[in-house]
Amino acid sequence: MKFSYNWIREFVPTLHEAPGPLERLITMKTAECEGVEPVGELLSGACVARVESVEPIANSHNARAVVDAGLHGFKTVVCGAPNCRPGMLTAWAPIGKKVINGVESDGMLASPAELGINKDHSGIIELKAGAPGDPLPRCAPDAVIEIDNKSITHRPDLWGHFGVAREVAAILGLKLRDAVDLSLIPSAPPAIGIQIEDFSLCPRYSALVFENVSIGPSPYWLQARLTAIGLNPINNIVDMTNFVMAELAQPMHAFDADLLNGGTIFIRPARFGEAFRALNDQNYTLDASNLVIADAAGPIALGGVIGGAHSAIGAKTTRVVLESANFQASSIRKTSAAIKLRTDASIRFEKAQDPANTVRGLARAVELLREISPGIRIVGGLADQKKEMPAPPPIALRHDWLERKLGRSISPGEVRRILESLEFRFDEPQARVYSVSVPSWRSTKDVSIPDDLVEEVGRMVGYDSITPVAPLVPAAVPPANPTRKFQHEVRAVFVDQGFTEVYNYSFLSEESVRAFGFDPAAHLRVSNPIASDQALMRASLLPGIWKNVTENAKHREAFRLFEIGLEIHKTASGLPDEISHLVAALYERHGDGAAGLYELKRAAECLMPGAEARPAAARPFEHPARSGELVWRGQAAGRIFEFHPSLVESGRAAILDLDLRQVESLSALRTKYAPIRRYPSSAFDLSVVCPLREHAGNLQTAIASLSGPLLESIQFVRQYSGPPLDEGQKSVSFRVTLGSPERTLSSEEAGDIRTRIIEGMRSLGYELRL
Amino acid sequence: MLDQSIQELESRSLARIASATTLEELEAVRVDSLGRKGPLAQAGKEMGKLPPEDRARIGKLLNSARQNLEQALEAKKRGLDSGSLNARLEAEWLDVTLPAPGPRRGHLHPITRIQRELEDLFASLGFAVLDGPEVETEYYNFDALNIPADHPARDMQDTFWLDGGNLLRTHTSPVQVRGMERLGPPLRMIAPGRVFRNESVDASHEHTFYQLEGMMIDRDVSVAHLLYFMKTLLAAIFHRDVTVRLRPGYFPFVEPGFELDIQCLICGGSGCPVCKQSGWVELLPCGLVNPNVLRMSGIDPGEWNGFAFGLGLTRLVMMRYAIDDIRYLQGGDLRFLEQF
Ligand SMILES: [Zn+2]
Repeated sequence: MKFSYNWIREFVPTLHEAPGPLERLITMKTAECEGVEPVGELLSGACVARVESVEPIANSHNARAVVDAGLHGFKTVVCGAPNCRPGMLTAWAPIGKKVINGVESDGMLASPAELGINKDHSGIIELKAGAPGDPLPRCAPDAVIEIDNKSITHRPDLWGHFGVAREVAAILGLKLRDAVDLSLIPSAPPAIGIQIEDFSLCPRYSALVFENVSIGPSPYWLQARLTAIGLNPINNIVDMTNFVMAELAQPMHAFDADLLNGGTIFIRPARFGEAFRALNDQNYTLDASNLVIADAAGPIALGGVIGGAHSAIGAKTTRVVLESANFQASSIRKTSAAIKLRTDASIRFEKAQDPANTVRGLARAVELLREISPGIRIVGGLADQKKEMPAPPPIALRHDWLERKLGRSISPGEVRRILESLEFRFDEPQARVYSVSVPSWRSTKDVSIPDDLVEEVGRMVGYDSITPVAPLVPAAVPPANPTRKFQHEVRAVFVDQGFTEVYNYSFLSEESVRAFGFDPAAHLRVSNPIASDQALMRASLLPGIWKNVTENAKHREAFRLFEIGLEIHKTASGLPDEISHLVAALYERHGDGAAGLYELKRAAECLMPGAEARPAAARPFEHPARSGELVWRGQAAGRIFEFHPSLVESGRAAILDLDLRQVESLSALRTKYAPIRRYPSSAFDLSVVCPLREHAGNLQTAIASLSGPLLESIQFVRQYSGPPLDEGQKSVSFRVTLGSPERTLSSEEAGDIRTRIIEGMRSLGYELRL
Repeated sequence: MLDQSIQELESRSLARIASATTLEELEAVRVDSLGRKGPLAQAGKEMGKLPPEDRARIGKLLNSARQNLEQALEAKKRGLDSGSLNARLEAEWLDVTLPAPGPRRGHLHPITRIQRELEDLFASLGFAVLDGPEVETEYYNFDALNIPADHPARDMQDTFWLDGGNLLRTHTSPVQVRGMERLGPPLRMIAPGRVFRNESVDASHEHTFYQLEGMMIDRDVSVAHLLYFMKTLLAAIFHRDVTVRLRPGYFPFVEPGFELDIQCLICGGSGCPVCKQSGWVELLPCGLVNPNVLRMSGIDPGEWNGFAFGLGLTRLVMMRYAIDDIRYLQGGDLRFLEQF
């Protein structure tokens, strides 16, 4: 929202702080400002000038004009404007001398756009009155202060210049001049009826009827004001409604009274399917959640959002119904969101405007219309329907509580001065217990509890006046977060093993989900995705990691990376299941990939000592002959596999996918201490001959179960294929260690067990090399 | 006669020891001279046959010869030992300038690094580190934070909505609410985590970024206490004393609410492009917890109050490492990530 410095100064006539310092003061005390821009700089020194003569310049579109600039004397100016003609009154601006088309041009004749009055740059400005040398009436260089809209979301009053002027006056301790003279509203019976169906949606609707209206451009000073703050001048009536809105934060709407049907305005919910053509030439189909302003024939405005096309002010308008109403904030917000139309009016109404402001707006309109539409007459008196709105009860504010909240002491007089400067009413029924009444423009949503008053006092006294103080609180060890600690340990393990951490997005495309053979319908879907390829919540980290592998393989021959993140799984109701996973990838452009897979397996074992990989059916994105399930402490904890070659163009990527929630819960199991064995154990090696694709893990399990309770450990030693073994055969060797915590085994006992294993394996169909 | 042969043996053996070049030669000398069947041993056995007047003299002579030979052998053996060791050591030359095999240590993501630093910092100040879900209900993300439906403040955060009515948390503030519900007062907590806003991505905007929410609930917590904690925290983050200022800021879950600015660390406050010539950099929103928020989380605002703040973790990481494009952080490019 942009604010004109000159406009603010109209209400704070003694304001002498320059725009720059004022902007900083507003930032520190009221709301965040985003900068100051000068506007209408050319108006500095510009004056009324009469064109005396115009002569063409050979071989140029420009002409040589001589103007009478009053006390500045006669000036010769090179001018290209088509409307430059002798006798006209225009504006001359002193910008120095310059030779153009061989003619020395002194200053310039300016278009309205160049002067910052409106967007018209088709010719030089045409003035209706004034003596050469006079300044342009009520037009002066200005500065525009931009206030961040987000920082005034809670302040309906700051959406108009008068509200900001009130803040400025309070900040600087200056006097505020009221913008409104309520005595301008005539007391007479209203000339139009108003019928409000639901006062909760429209707490107040006020209107005045005018006749003998003349439609035409607004005076330049008014246009300049609107232009400075980014509004486009249209015609005097529309400009006036925008002007009052920008001044008092009260949106208004003008209907052409002759285009209305019947003598009553209805404020009612739209009927289902009711059609409405708005001022922006869009057609809307409404329903009961939209509040409309209607006449006997149908909607004439979408309440608080936009007027209708049919009853709009046009060149032929002579009678006007001027609406100044108040609407419920949330209803406006809903309608504006539903039809995707945010207007200057709806933006203000959704901040909860002050119902007292409707009549103030009309009073200000009367004053302006008298000037900008000469001869205008008010028909009848004020039409005004409203629900009774009792003032909210005063807020009780204890002085000691205020000081404890701020963390500094402050004198009661200072509190009073601050609150009264912001037009709060201040009483002190008991010593140091205040009763504070909130002005109507602050009580709609903004200020209702003592904490809100802490802010008022705090910001005005200045937060920089508060000295930091260490709180006196007991020292306490905070509750632990074992999951976070565990995940940091996992990160450390993988970083130590050479893996670099990546972060991927939580969104996936349907395409990438399908590429992995997952079902898009099983994914949680974003209703309003930023792009169609980011519409699904990831239920696996694998597509993200796959992308990392593909991208980095363009620059690297080998790399290791990992991510810890949440898989988000749809549930039947309530919040989805968020499961933390680790996915690690080891990519090598050359080699057969075996070393990478085993290295990754070793990394997994660093996290899960003793974990086993068990052969498992491959999923579509896994290499069908290189995938396994990781089992730790009897529970499935994840998968280890190589990406299917169709997914990785060149090279191989070994992948580890661990369910960290599972791994963490298994890590928490305490291993029980066993005493160090006092008796020597005995060991022997066994080599099992088996088909090449027999899993060593299966053999080991078989040997272990044949060994019986005296088995201490069983370890893979080596495997071998080649002569003298048959083609298609391999020999896998294990070292079996036997022992007892109570005694030394006899050689017979050990020999018996060995025989039992050998015979058992033979009966399972394996040959043994002894 | 015997005297002479002992002396001759001794001097002959000493000469052989001196000229020996291997341990084997030396061993042969030892066996020849000092062995059980060697001449000295023989002479010793024959001592009994000597006339008594010669025994003592010959005995002395034998002992001295044995000692001399043993010492010479020992000395020569040490010499030969170190010689062969030296030869072995010489043969075992390694090129220590070659790179070690195996992978180099990997790299933590810069957000992880800063986040851990902050977790440790807050833990040392007695703050619990809490987590909450990334998919949140409307209640926890908005209503419980004093942002009811149709509140214009909902526009301040463009929200990703999910089919079924839940949403992606737009801030880590819902964890405050969960923390208050779970742990109750007094409470000191932070909640670092991933948040989402429906914004298009460019060099300085992301739809996915990281925040660190903090909260302290106790008795009589004041603006002065908030200032103290923020100054302490920022000094630790930036490893230097920082000048801060509070100015009004509007966030429905705090009252009063502030924007906290720090004096520009680049120019020291005199104005530069980083601070847009203002001398100040907006760093974090904070404020005293709105009593409505406490009440909704089951805490009596008559007894307890507190402060809350939200730190842009992603922004802090970018400041710390002077990263000029936010997209690198979730781009997965190792050429970027390996710099941390
Ligand atoms: Zn700076």
